[in-house]
Amino acid sequence: MFDKVLIANRGEIALRIQRACKELGIATVAVHSTADADAMHVRLADESVCIGPPPSSESYLNIPRLLAACEITGADAIHPGYGFLSENARFAEILEDHNIAFIGPTSEHIRIMGDKIAAKETAKKLGIPVVPGSVGAIETAEEAAHVAADMGYPVLIKAAAGGGGRGMKVARSADEIAAAFGTARSEAKAAFGDDAVYIEKFLAKPRHIEVQVFGDGHGQAIHLGERDCSLQRRHQKVLEEAPSPALNDAARQHIGKTVATAMQKLKYRGAGTVEFLYEQGEFFFIEMNTRLQVEHPITEMVTGVDLVIEQIRVASGMPMTLTQEDVTISGHAIECRINAENPTNFRPSPGQITYWHPPGGLGVRVDSGAYQGYRIPPYYDSLIGKLIVHGKTRNECLMRLRRCLSEFVIDGIDTTIPLFTELVRHPDIANGMYDIHWLENYLTTRED
Amino acid sequence: MARETREKTNVQEKQLIRDLATLLNETGLTEIEIEKSGLKVRVARTVQLTASAAPAAPPAVQTTARERAEAESKRSESDPANHPGAVKSPMVGTAYRAAEPGAAPFAEVGSRVTEGQTLLIIEAMKTMNHIPAPASGTVTEVLFENGQPVEFGEVLVIIE
Repeated sequence: MFDKVLIANRGEIALRIQRACKELGIATVAVHSTADADAMHVRLADESVCIGPPPSSESYLNIPRLLAACEITGADAIHPGYGFLSENARFAEILEDHNIAFIGPTSEHIRIMGDKIAAKETAKKLGIPVVPGSVGAIETAEEAAHVAADMGYPVLIKAAAGGGGRGMKVARSADEIAAAFGTARSEAKAAFGDDAVYIEKFLAKPRHIEVQVFGDGHGQAIHLGERDCSLQRRHQKVLEEAPSPALNDAARQHIGKTVATAMQKLKYRGAGTVEFLYEQGEFFFIEMNTRLQVEHPITEMVTGVDLVIEQIRVASGMPMTLTQEDVTISGHAIECRINAENPTNFRPSPGQITYWHPPGGLGVRVDSGAYQGYRIPPYYDSLIGKLIVHGKTRNECLMRLRRCLSEFVIDGIDTTIPLFTELVRHPDIANGMYDIHWLENYLTTRED
Repeated sequence: MARETREKTNVQEKQLIRDLATLLNETGLTEIEIEKSGLKVRVARTVQLTASAAPAAPPAVQTTARERAEAESKRSESDPANHPGAVKSPMVGTAYRAAEPGAAPFAEVGSRVTEGQTLLIIEAMKTMNHIPAPASGTVTEVLFENGQPVEFGEVLVIIE
C-alpha cells in the first residue's frame, strides 16, 4: 500500500481523494495554486505544496512542478482526480518512467480511449455496440457528404481528439454538410490541436446512459451498474441518477455484462466509464472515460462501494475487494451538480460564501470543499459542490431531494439550487421521462 | 527463539510507556505521541475539570474597525511576503545556499548583490536552477536552510 499520495487536483474531488487516503491510513500531499491556499483539502492534508500561480497551465497542469512536488515530499503515488491530467497519457507515462504510481489505468489504455476514433474501433472489436458512422477520419467535405448520404441525415461531425461533449457539429441535410465539416475541423484544431474529425449518425431523442466499470489490470473486471446522465446543458451534465429509470433489469444486466467482458479482454486497470446513447432499446457506444467521473457518488450510494478506495488499492497492486456476484444495486440515488452560477442565465458567480448550511439526515451526502467564509476563485470551473441523495425507491429519493434542496443555504453567491428546486417538481423529471435535449428545451421555453 | 524476542520486545515497549508517563508528569504535558520503528505510542492524561465559582465576566474588549485594520496591517507588514525586497521562489524544489556541498554560499546576510547575481540554487528533477537577484542591494535576511524543500511563492531572501 502506498505511504504517501499526492493529490493532483483541486476542489471537491481533491477533498474526496483526501478522505479515501485518510481511511486507508495513507499520508496526503495537497498541491495547490496560490488561489487555492485556503482550500479545505489543503487545510486537511498532511502536507501541502504551492506549485504555482492561479492559471492551470502553471499549476494543476504543470507536469514538472507536480513531479518536483513529488520529489520534495517523497510521495510514491499520484491521484489525478478528474479533468486536468487525469486522461493525459503522457503524464501517466512520465510517472511510470519515474517509478511514481499513477492511480488510474495504463498510459496505453488512456491513449486508446483518448482518441475517439481509435476508441470506437477498440469498442467494436471488444463487442460493444457502436453508433453507426464513418470508419476512421474524414479528410474532405466531399467524403463527408458521401458518408452522410449513405448513413442518412441528420449526422454529427465529431472531433477525434474531443470528448466530454466538446467539438461536435450537427448537419441536418446535404446543404449543411460542407459548412458543418469545415467549422468542425477548424474548431477541433483550435480546441484540441488536432483537426481529425469523424461522422456519426445523429440520434434524435437518445438518453445518455453510462456504465461504471472497474478492473484489476490482470483480466478481472466488473460493472457496477449504470447512471442516467441525460439532463445536460451545453453537453455538461447537470443532474444524474442511478439506476436509469429507462432500463429494466434485463437490459441492465445485458449491457453491464457486455462492458465487463470487454474490460476483462482489455485487462483494464482501475475505474472507467463506458458511455452510451440509448434510443428505442438500443445502446450505442460514444466514448469511454478512463478515469473517475464527477458523478461517481451515485454509484457508490447504490452499491455501497468506495470507488476511490478501490482505485488506490488496485493501483498499489492489491486485488479488488469484490467480484461481480458481490455487486448489488440497492435503492436509488440522484446527484445535483451545484454550480456558482446564476440559475437563470448561468453567469458565473465567484465570490465569498457568507452563509453555508448544507442539508443532512439519512441518505444525504454533500461532496464539497466549500465552507462558510470560503472565497470561490474565479480561475476554475464553477462546480462548488454535489448534493447526492439516496432513497429506497426513486420516489423516496425524489422526496428526500426536494427536502434537501429546501434546507440547503448558500449565501453570498448565486448558485443553481433554484434550478434544481424547479426541476425536481417537474412531472417529466418525476416520471423519469427525459432525453438529452430535454433540459435545453426546458430552459429555452422557460425564458418565454 | 521467536517467543523470547517477542517477550523482550514487550518488556521494552512497557518500559517505553513507563518512561513516557514519567515524562508527562515531570513536564506537566497532557499528551505525548511517539513513532519509532513502526511502533506508534500515545500517552495522554485526562485533565479533571473542577467546577469553580464563575469568574467575574472580563470587561468586553471593544475594538474599533480602525484598530482592527491597523492590527491587520501591522501583521501583514511583518509578513516577509509583503516586503518590497522579498525574493520569492519561482518553482518547487530543494533550495541550496551554495553551488555544491562545502563551497561558499552565494549570499549571506550583509552581502552586497547586483541585479542578476545568483543568490541560490533550486534543484528539481535533477536540474539545477540559478535564482538571480531581481535588483541590486544588500541581503538583509536569508529565510531558508541549505537543502530545504521550497514551494512556489515561498520567500527565500530579502534584499534592501
